[in-house]
Amino acid sequence: MQASLRFLIVASTFMACVAVPSMPAAADDPKPVTFDDNVAGILKKNCLQCHGEAKQEAGLNFATYASLVKGGSGGVVVVAGRSSASRLLEVITAEDPDARMPPDNDALPADQIAMIKTWIDTGIRENSGSSVAAARTLGFKPAAATQANDGPPPVPANLPDFKPRKTHRPYPVLALAASPRAPLAAVASYEAIELMASKDKSYGAIAFPEGEPLVLKFSPSGRVLLAAGGKPVQNGAAVLFDVTTGKRLSSVGDETDAVLAADISPDERQVAIGGSGKVVKIFSTEDGKLLHTLAKHTDWITALAFSPDGKLLATGDRIGNIHLWDAKSGGIVLPLSEHKGAIRTLSWRSDSGLVVSCGEDGLIVWWDVKDGWPAISKPNAHPPSRPAGSYGKIASGVLDAAFGPKGELATCGRDGIIRLWADDGKELKKFAIADDKPVDRAAPKGVTVLPTRVAISADGSVVLAGDSAGQLHAWPTGAAAPAK
Amino acid sequence: MHNALRSRTWLLLWIAVATLASGLLTAAGAAASESADAPSFRRDVMPVLFRAGCNAGTCHGSARGKDGFMLSLFGYDPKGDYARIVNDIPGRRVNAAVPEQSLLLLKALGAVPHTGGKLFDKDSDLYKTLFRWIEAGAPDDAEAVPQVVGITLPKESVVFKKIGGHGVARVTAQFSDGTSRDVTSLARFFSNNPSVATIDADGKVTAVAPGDTNVFARYSRFTVGSEAIVLPPEEGFTWPNPPANNFIDTLVFDRLQQLRIIPSDLCDDETFLRRITLDLAARPPSIEEYHAFMADTKPDKRAKKIDELLAADAFADLWATIWSEHLRIIGGNYAPQATHVKAADVFQEWIRAQMRSGRPLNEFVADMVASSGSNLSNGPANLYTMMLHQVRVEPKPLAADFSQLFLGVQIQCAECHNHPFDRWTMDDYYGFVSFFTGIKRKNGIEPRERRIYFDTSVEPAKHLVDGRPMPAKVLGSVEPVGGDGDPRKALAAWLTSPNNEMFSRNLANRIWAQLLGRGVIDPVDDIRVSNPPVNAPLLDALSKRLVEVKFDLRSLVREICNSRIYQLSSRPNASNARDTRQFSHRHLERLRADTLIDSVVAVTGVPRKFEGFLTGTRAIDVYPKTSGDTAGPHYGDPFFHTFGRASRATVAAAETKLEPTLSQALHLAVGDSVRDRLTAGGVVKKLIETKSTPEDIIDELFIRTLSRRPTTEEMTGMRELVGDDVKDQAVYEDIFWSLLNSTEFLFNY
Repeated sequence: MQASLRFLIVASTFMACVAVPSMPAAADDPKPVTFDDNVAGILKKNCLQCHGEAKQEAGLNFATYASLVKGGSGGVVVVAGRSSASRLLEVITAEDPDARMPPDNDALPADQIAMIKTWIDTGIRENSGSSVAAARTLGFKPAAATQANDGPPPVPANLPDFKPRKTHRPYPVLALAASPRAPLAAVASYEAIELMASKDKSYGAIAFPEGEPLVLKFSPSGRVLLAAGGKPVQNGAAVLFDVTTGKRLSSVGDETDAVLAADISPDERQVAIGGSGKVVKIFSTEDGKLLHTLAKHTDWITALAFSPDGKLLATGDRIGNIHLWDAKSGGIVLPLSEHKGAIRTLSWRSDSGLVVSCGEDGLIVWWDVKDGWPAISKPNAHPPSRPAGSYGKIASGVLDAAFGPKGELATCGRDGIIRLWADDGKELKKFAIADDKPVDRAAPKGVTVLPTRVAISADGSVVLAGDSAGQLHAWPTGAAAPAK
Repeated sequence: MHNALRSRTWLLLWIAVATLASGLLTAAGAAASESADAPSFRRDVMPVLFRAGCNAGTCHGSARGKDGFMLSLFGYDPKGDYARIVNDIPGRRVNAAVPEQSLLLLKALGAVPHTGGKLFDKDSDLYKTLFRWIEAGAPDDAEAVPQVVGITLPKESVVFKKIGGHGVARVTAQFSDGTSRDVTSLARFFSNNPSVATIDADGKVTAVAPGDTNVFARYSRFTVGSEAIVLPPEEGFTWPNPPANNFIDTLVFDRLQQLRIIPSDLCDDETFLRRITLDLAARPPSIEEYHAFMADTKPDKRAKKIDELLAADAFADLWATIWSEHLRIIGGNYAPQATHVKAADVFQEWIRAQMRSGRPLNEFVADMVASSGSNLSNGPANLYTMMLHQVRVEPKPLAADFSQLFLGVQIQCAECHNHPFDRWTMDDYYGFVSFFTGIKRKNGIEPRERRIYFDTSVEPAKHLVDGRPMPAKVLGSVEPVGGDGDPRKALAAWLTSPNNEMFSRNLANRIWAQLLGRGVIDPVDDIRVSNPPVNAPLLDALSKRLVEVKFDLRSLVREICNSRIYQLSSRPNASNARDTRQFSHRHLERLRADTLIDSVVAVTGVPRKFEGFLTGTRAIDVYPKTSGDTAGPHYGDPFFHTFGRASRATVAAAETKLEPTLSQALHLAVGDSVRDRLTAGGVVKKLIETKSTPEDIIDELFIRTLSRRPTTEEMTGMRELVGDDVKDQAVYEDIFWSLLNSTEFLFNY
């Protein structure tokens, strides 16, 4: 009783000092950027000599809205809402003067480039009277999350007696997962997985002799825990554990390097793994047989996830490519290209309608998997602070992302911040790990502590984060529990 | 109700876990106390990566890294390297919780598959440093770490008296806090010629064979060298004590005596006359010149000949062409590079006028560097059209070519990383590039005209690593030149100052190489710490003399040509046959393409027409003209292409090729250059008419072609060939043909 009271105080302190209000959303611009008002003039001055009524180099005519949108012999040059996929923006911003338009000239002034970019990103309006293509419905119904998960939420009971090896210093939280049904989290440790609940009910640890668990995932039933990893350039495997007994159920993969990405299919029949071998392997959990080898990536596989309905598998690599596969046949479905740096995590919303990707380029994308459309795109989602007087690039990577039960998303990044995003992409809250002061904060001077992993508890009330100094952080999300 | 309650319970439980977890997970952490003597990343760890070769160009220092892991080449970017090693993939390369499982260590030990193999043992100091650093949590340096400001070796020169002898080069590094320490075990070593002396990983130098070379140590961004001399046996060596004409002889003889190399004898008068005429006038001596010189019995006739040739226009014209090649003059027709033939003419004529008037070379260069204005009326401004045949002035390649030509230094390595074998840093490079970022061309009155100007509103170059703006700064300096005007004035002043040894040494070395066939530093446009002069006092003295004579080209050439060294025979002796670099005998060299065709014209009396030039124009006055674009290689004439005249596609000294090739031999044997001229000039016909005996005809053909009399054997053989029909033109033409096709005619010896 005494303990509970203390934690209540701790909790309220957290809420008071950590829950920084999110930035206000940008108000809708009253005067939209349009072709007639803002873009036609720029194009006329710089492009029409070669891409106009008189001459159409590459079949392009920028003289009218219709002919511009139609594109040329090489296809369309503007894609509504996606400046990153629009050839027009690519050629006017090219670094190499030989590849840049207009040719033999200085680049267009930055404000004109920005104007064209805004025009594309806001939906290539022709004039102030035109409407943008109807906004996508990103609505989310948590109903899809419910499955035939009968029985009490699985929690560990009678774990084998196992003491994790003492490490030289706290092991970084390289993997973290929250059970989708119970107040239970799995936390990576060295050659072990800690199963955490509360002070009064510690479940203990289970052995992972393969090495470092780099991926931890619960199956949707909460009964099975997948742990994948290994020892770098030595061995790698994915192991399934019974959450209640801690027993090893099966092990797949016999890799020569640690497994970097893995997931278990919702029906618990398949496990997909990937790593430095650049191929994704899908195994049967029943007999350990290799079902499919997906060879399309050209660099390390850094993230993969099955859709909660079991139909699709999303895989991402170290150079930013993402592919969607048919989980049953292993056939390729769609490429998702928007990232320019390593993909760190892929996470599905529980209705299987959206998959989120985040990566070292600082970008978070909510993908509509129907057609591979980047429904919401957050560049520079974890903006790093720039020390005074410094120049150049500062790492801004987004290191992990995890959906909560209501379609909310938690992310963590190299800025040391955990952010919560609403299902429409609005930032709700942020928490800084530097503000959290656990009992023993053992990071030596000169070491940057990074939040490595995030998770949201099954009921959405708590966001968890692990860091590279081996600490676990938890903050209340402030979300009201869904009424039943 | 039930749910809401449960939810609140979870919240409480989880917040509890936060504290619990930290307690539980860090239970092991008590052992990890910060040790006071933890190695510093920059001071201790980076040198290990350097010494073990991790950040070498063939390994992770390559621009794209290796096997997915990239380090900055030889460690120019410690901050980036720290991020890549520690934070890129947390827990993988560096595992501070279980240090011995860090991939960085396992790879280096060869304990796991590693393309680079095993680099060191577990009991080595290198391993221990890395281990202790990781054990301490792999911290970045919290405070500024003293920088390496230089490294030294104990001796500038080591002499080995016998093969197999050895010594140890211990390397000392000096730091910005005034301290220094022995870094031999962290340095890397190499020898410029391991067939003379080798150096191993511990700095141990071993003598292999007689000769001289340099061994080097590298640490941080510094390279330092030491000369290694391996002497031939003393038995049988007697220094002949040849007389020295001037300081050049004294310095070269000192060196030869030290190396126990006996110089060749002085060349004879015939050889001297041909050599000096080819070198200073780019043609062979005429018959009249031959007879006059041979008849002269005065002791100073060689010096007089040198003066006479230096005073002639041909000398200035030859040097105008050498500069024209370096400055890459090519005339086009409405070329987009602003290199119209009118611009080329005005530039070429301006250079020729400077050479003829004896303009001091530093003023000549300064004029070009600071020039602005019309390419059609202001000749020197064409430095900024011709040196780079590009539509826009690109500051980076311009800076690279500029330093290669005027300083003999190649700084372009430092665009992407500090120069691995020289002193140039990326700071030097980008600061130097900023002298040229504002150079622009705008349209003039007529379509061929461009006006060169400096736009002071243009931003300076940005540093590649961190994007810092780098204001214009001369090489090797810390502070920018400052001011808000055209920084090229400051550049010209610094570059051509008598105090700028880089400039005077470069010019002196190039002039020496033009006359001796090889630079004191060779190649002449690759001056760097790891390519030192073969005779440093000589280069210093030549450079000093050039400054003393106020950068007068003729004065330095006169001094060099009057030296005994210049006048040595090309015939080697037993002692110097193996020497190719200490000027112990004359270097054999095929004639430059333009000198060769001018020689053929002079000997046969039939002029050669060059496209775009009047008939009768000498080849040394010809530069390439083209009907359009001037980018890419241009020779101006197929003969120039075949005989390796500079293509003017680059600023490199190696553009002028003097290697003999099969196509050259074929061209001279059966091509039109020689064949058509044998009869057309009427040389043989006239000789038959004017000379009374076949011996006289043969004699004159030899003098005309090879500037020497035939030997008795040659005369006997030729006379037999002529036979009884002493007026047979065909036979004499055959003799003439064979003389023109002889190796002797093709070479300056």
